[in-house]
Amino acid sequence: MSVNFGYTISLPRAVDLDRNDFSVALRVLRRLPELESCIGCGGCTATCTAGAFTEFNFRRVQTLVRRGEYGGAYREMNKCMLCGKCRLVCPRGINTRAVVMTIKRELGTGY
Amino acid sequence: MDGFLRYYDHFVLPFTVGMLVLFTVIIYKYVRWFVRMPKEDRRLVARGIFTKKTAQATGEVACEALGHRKIWRVNPTLGYMHMSLALGWFLLIVVGWIEATVHFSGELTAPHTHVFFKFFGPTSHPTMTGKFINFMMDFLLLFVLSGVALAWFKRLRSKALGMRRTTRHTLWDRVAMTALWMIFPVRLVAESAASGIDGSQSFLTGAIGRWMVDEFGIAQVFNISAVAWWVYSLVLGAFFLAMPFSRYMHIFTEIPLIFMRRYGVRSGERASSFDHFQIEACSQCGVCIDPCQLQADAGINHVQSAYYLRDRRYNRLRREVAENCLMCGRCEAKCPVGIESNTLRLNSRSRLNDQPAEGRYEYLRGVDGSCGEGRTGYFAGCMTMLTPATLSAMEKVFAAAGEDVWWADRNGGACCGRPLRLLGEIAAAQRMTDHNVELILRQGVTILVVSCPICLRAFRGEPRLADIEILHHSQYILRLVEQGRILMSSDTMSYVYHDPCELGRGCGIYDEPREVLRRLGTLAEVSQNREHAFCCGGSLANAEIDSTQQDAIARTLMAQFAATDARVIVTACPLCKKMLARHSSRARVADISEVAAARAVAAATP
Ligand code: SF4
Ligand code: SF4
Ligand code: SF4
Ligand code: SF4
Repeated sequence: MSVNFGYTISLPRAVDLDRNDFSVALRVLRRLPELESCIGCGGCTATCTAGAFTEFNFRRVQTLVRRGEYGGAYREMNKCMLCGKCRLVCPRGINTRAVVMTIKRELGTGY
Repeated sequence: MDGFLRYYDHFVLPFTVGMLVLFTVIIYKYVRWFVRMPKEDRRLVARGIFTKKTAQATGEVACEALGHRKIWRVNPTLGYMHMSLALGWFLLIVVGWIEATVHFSGELTAPHTHVFFKFFGPTSHPTMTGKFINFMMDFLLLFVLSGVALAWFKRLRSKALGMRRTTRHTLWDRVAMTALWMIFPVRLVAESAASGIDGSQSFLTGAIGRWMVDEFGIAQVFNISAVAWWVYSLVLGAFFLAMPFSRYMHIFTEIPLIFMRRYGVRSGERASSFDHFQIEACSQCGVCIDPCQLQADAGINHVQSAYYLRDRRYNRLRREVAENCLMCGRCEAKCPVGIESNTLRLNSRSRLNDQPAEGRYEYLRGVDGSCGEGRTGYFAGCMTMLTPATLSAMEKVFAAAGEDVWWADRNGGACCGRPLRLLGEIAAAQRMTDHNVELILRQGVTILVVSCPICLRAFRGEPRLADIEILHHSQYILRLVEQGRILMSSDTMSYVYHDPCELGRGCGIYDEPREVLRRLGTLAEVSQNREHAFCCGGSLANAEIDSTQQDAIARTLMAQFAATDARVIVTACPLCKKMLARHSSRARVADISEVAAARAVAAATP
């Protein structure tokens, strides 16, 4: 019988850039080239209205999509309220709401 | 039947065919659009028909469809051009019909007999009334020709009429336009030739006719006449044939639109058959192009209402055209036909982006970040959370007034839903709205003060909140001052006020913020203010433009404030404040609540 000590270990996983399919990522970046300039500061996530209530992390989801990791991205982006706070705080002036809309449009309900 | 055939010549055929096609297509379109309208809309029409609204609509049709009063106001030259064509042609038809009916003593004749009356009947009448009619017909023809000349001139040099761009046309538009431009000059030649042959004395066609006879000899004038009547009928036929498929469809479509609008029919956030009446009532006049800041500041030239409506009408609307718009409403405020282009754009977006929202935002269940117990509610909204100065200013105002406040989203709350709605996610937006409405109704407030104009519009459009008075904080502050609940001291500080799109054009709130500022110091105005105010560029309705384009739009706005010597630029929207603050070098940017709170003290208790 296993005892749950309250510690969990993340599954071992790595982003394999050689195997991933980048077609969606490239289309997103073609539409929003400025996304490439994201410095990962997390300002968007810190201010996020939706993030105050649920595990939703805009920075994480869009970064994974750019790495070709699409699993769950549509479902996650659907938590966004499009309120626009993140765009106002982003130091790189990234059109974050368009990132949400474009990722949802590209991936569709399958993800 | 006799009269139908007695006055006949083969040249009338192109006209007759064109006219039959025109009326068949128009009636087919209108009936089809009407029967497909939602039942409630058709009921509105049925209920309105026998009321005074019908009379009002008739008056409006005369003013707008014939007189083009609203274009006059925007641009008098353009107004004259449209009026001379519409009113002039209409009167030519009416007076011509009277002339023909009197001449044939009421005998039933085919329409072509009236239209080509100078061919079938005499070109002039000897009696006094006859002479007057001759004069009128020539005068009206001259009136219309002056409009056509202006149209030619406008095509050559659009700048001369004070317009930077004319709209781009489709093939049908070109056919109809070319025909329209030829109709009246050719008519002048045909009627002059007929008058020359007849020896009419009228001042225009008679004079030209006499000159033709002198110059070319009577035999040539007979030839000219034969050809000219054919060409006249051909261009009329071509115009009528092309018209229902071209932008000239607006000539007739504005009429049912005016009537239905009077009966209360409106477009909505989901597309309906009524939209056709709006879309085809657009004359492509281009008045909406110049006011658009996307065009003037961001170099985007294919999305303005005129283009959007044209693309939607011909079923070639691209997603980007529907979505690239600030929905600032500057164009709508100037549109002479009063087309609800923003609402139409919204329903194009919902067609693209709306999807069932079951299972979305489940995380909001049970979320309640409110505190306090008062009957006066305060909803800050997401954007106000980013401008904490507004929040603390409102705290101070409430404290000075001794107001017991229920803070709806003090410890976090859901978005109002309007940002989702503006991008077309209607079902998702509804979930946000439902969440907030339930929260507000549960508390049972009587007044709800809102700091963000976007939220304000979301709540004002919600029928379930109809019993609650929903105020923007500028209105609320003014009310406190007027009721003597707070005192505000004034000094010599100079202010200039920026009208946020959602507050001004969106909710019609222009005066209250200005009144507050006048009580604080001196208030300067810029030329593009109130319903013509510029957008700050930050609009949540546009997720297409990048930050460089947003900045370009904001700079235009700032340039006009810099031209005044006001020390403080005041606005009443947290989003505008953020955009303005980024671009202000000299003047301070503040929300109206901040400047008011800084001077507000509690009134001495009696
Ligand atoms: S705020 Fe902007 S730069 Fe920072 S992580 Fe978010 S998107 Fe990237
Ligand atoms: S727009 Fe979406 S991601 Fe950005 S702050 Fe609002 S809820 Fe969060
Ligand atoms: S939308 Fe209005 S202003 Fe614009 S082209 Fe059409 S009629 Fe003219
Ligand atoms: S609403 Fe504003 S941004 Fe949109 S077309 Fe009209 S003027 Fe341009």
